[in-house]
Amino acid sequence: MIKFAFGIFLLSFSALLLADNAAPTPVESAAAQPLVVVHPTVAVPSLTAAQLRSIYLKRQVIWPDGLPIQVFVLPLQSAVHKEFSQTRLKLFPYQLERNWQKLTFSGIGTPPTEVSSATDMLRLIQTTPGAIGYLPFDHETTDAKVIQIKP
Amino acid sequence: MQKLFKSSHNAAGTLLVALGLWQATPVIASETWHWHGFVAQGLMRSADSNFVNNDGAISAELTEFGLNSTWKLSNTVRLAGQLMYLDGGNRFQQGGRIDYLFINWTAINDMDWQLDLYAGRYKNNHWLYSATRDVAITRPLIVLPQSVYFDAFRDIAVGSDGLAVTSTHNLNFGELELNWSLGATPIPKEQSQRVISTFINGKTEQDFVHQFSVFLRPAQSKSQWGLSLLDSDFNYRRVANDIFADGDFTVQRVMANWRYSEQDWELSSEVFQERVSVYGFYAPGTERTQFGWGAYLLGSYNLSAKSTLYLSHDHFFANKDDKKGYLLPQQSGGLIPAYFGYQRDTALGLSHNIQPNLRLKMEYHWNTGTGRLGPNVVPDTVVNRSRHHELWAVQLMYWF
Repeated sequence: MIKFAFGIFLLSFSALLLADNAAPTPVESAAAQPLVVVHPTVAVPSLTAAQLRSIYLKRQVIWPDGLPIQVFVLPLQSAVHKEFSQTRLKLFPYQLERNWQKLTFSGIGTPPTEVSSATDMLRLIQTTPGAIGYLPFDHETTDAKVIQIKP
Repeated sequence: MQKLFKSSHNAAGTLLVALGLWQATPVIASETWHWHGFVAQGLMRSADSNFVNNDGAISAELTEFGLNSTWKLSNTVRLAGQLMYLDGGNRFQQGGRIDYLFINWTAINDMDWQLDLYAGRYKNNHWLYSATRDVAITRPLIVLPQSVYFDAFRDIAVGSDGLAVTSTHNLNFGELELNWSLGATPIPKEQSQRVISTFINGKTEQDFVHQFSVFLRPAQSKSQWGLSLLDSDFNYRRVANDIFADGDFTVQRVMANWRYSEQDWELSSEVFQERVSVYGFYAPGTERTQFGWGAYLLGSYNLSAKSTLYLSHDHFFANKDDKKGYLLPQQSGGLIPAYFGYQRDTALGLSHNIQPNLRLKMEYHWNTGTGRLGPNVVPDTVVNRSRHHELWAVQLMYWF
């Protein structure tokens, strides 16, 4: 038993050392990462990566001015969602999905709203107060506000 | 502790409900209600054990149906609950139950710190899979590692009536989550018979369960680390012609957990030591304390976008000073074999998503030892006559 427990912790400690600076690998360069966009009235110029993660894990549910945050995601199997999850949130898509299922079925939150395309995403960001979402880096962002994500 | 809990429990709950209602302001009707649910049905067979049934036949007693709802009273106050129906053969009490029903007040939500308070029947958020062990689609295996997630204790461990607090902080070195809870769970007679002994006729109560846990997710790391503490007291009050005496039980658990995630695979583990003290019960004035150990390592590998392979190895020792259970036959006059002192389970499972909301799971377990087969205090030595026993299960699950 002691050997088994020791083995587990030796394994985990090694993994932690190996994992330093090894969070989900960016698929593209920083310039090509999906854009994080919000409704124009959201009075937040930038977010840290940890704050963005809190929003997408549905822990952070209101903006600093009290407006509810409306979170939108693209289809979970889409390339843009995978890229956003790994480069912006530093999470693998299955970790996000597991967290949303935990929220949903343990009563502590509700999952984000899934939209079918980037075009729909932009339209909802433009028209939904408090909305946050993401778009391919080269997608138009008319009437939406692009916010900077700090490390 | 018990008096402190009983005197403060109702007052604190009332205060939180009052605060919640005071905070509540009307919100847009379309955003106020959320409904979700799941249904899972399967077949399973446990050969040479009483895990599912007593005759070893293939059983359809693998039914789980849950309906849950969240009602948003304001941007910071919600009511949430889940109605659950279970049929798991010998594993669970058959029928409906309310797994959780609480009011949640988000007291602080300031971008880098979130603090939530829960009053009512809250969920156990202290272990890796405890918050959703009752939801088939969220479990990695149909049958979780029994050292930690002992099915006979399912209804006692899944949640409690009382108060809970969750606090999450974004810090320079990573994300820190703290959880605290204090409550108690009602224990129907049938439930206590599954946990203690099929021969009891008296009444079992949980006096309190007090838990604390901390989780750390270091920045720029794929690992998560956690530590949880549990302290709980139970009492048993005999009835006329009862073969057992009045008894008190103390259970205390210290557990560490860890998870490491890669794109296509993941490892998770929980390791614990549990103190179990029994005062009376077997006979007036007796006292027995033992420390149990348990640990599992669970791995998953994503074979494709739809399929995942699981492999787990689970160890449990009821008494760390008697890992092979040699004392059990001596203490019981030869009635309880040594293999009731431990259990080792190696499991292989496969999950396949047929549709985005339809999943098929199947798994096989090889077990040695019967230490995690219920009842726990006075074991079933009639059915569990084999040191080795196997289990297979197939379950189809749908959720919305």
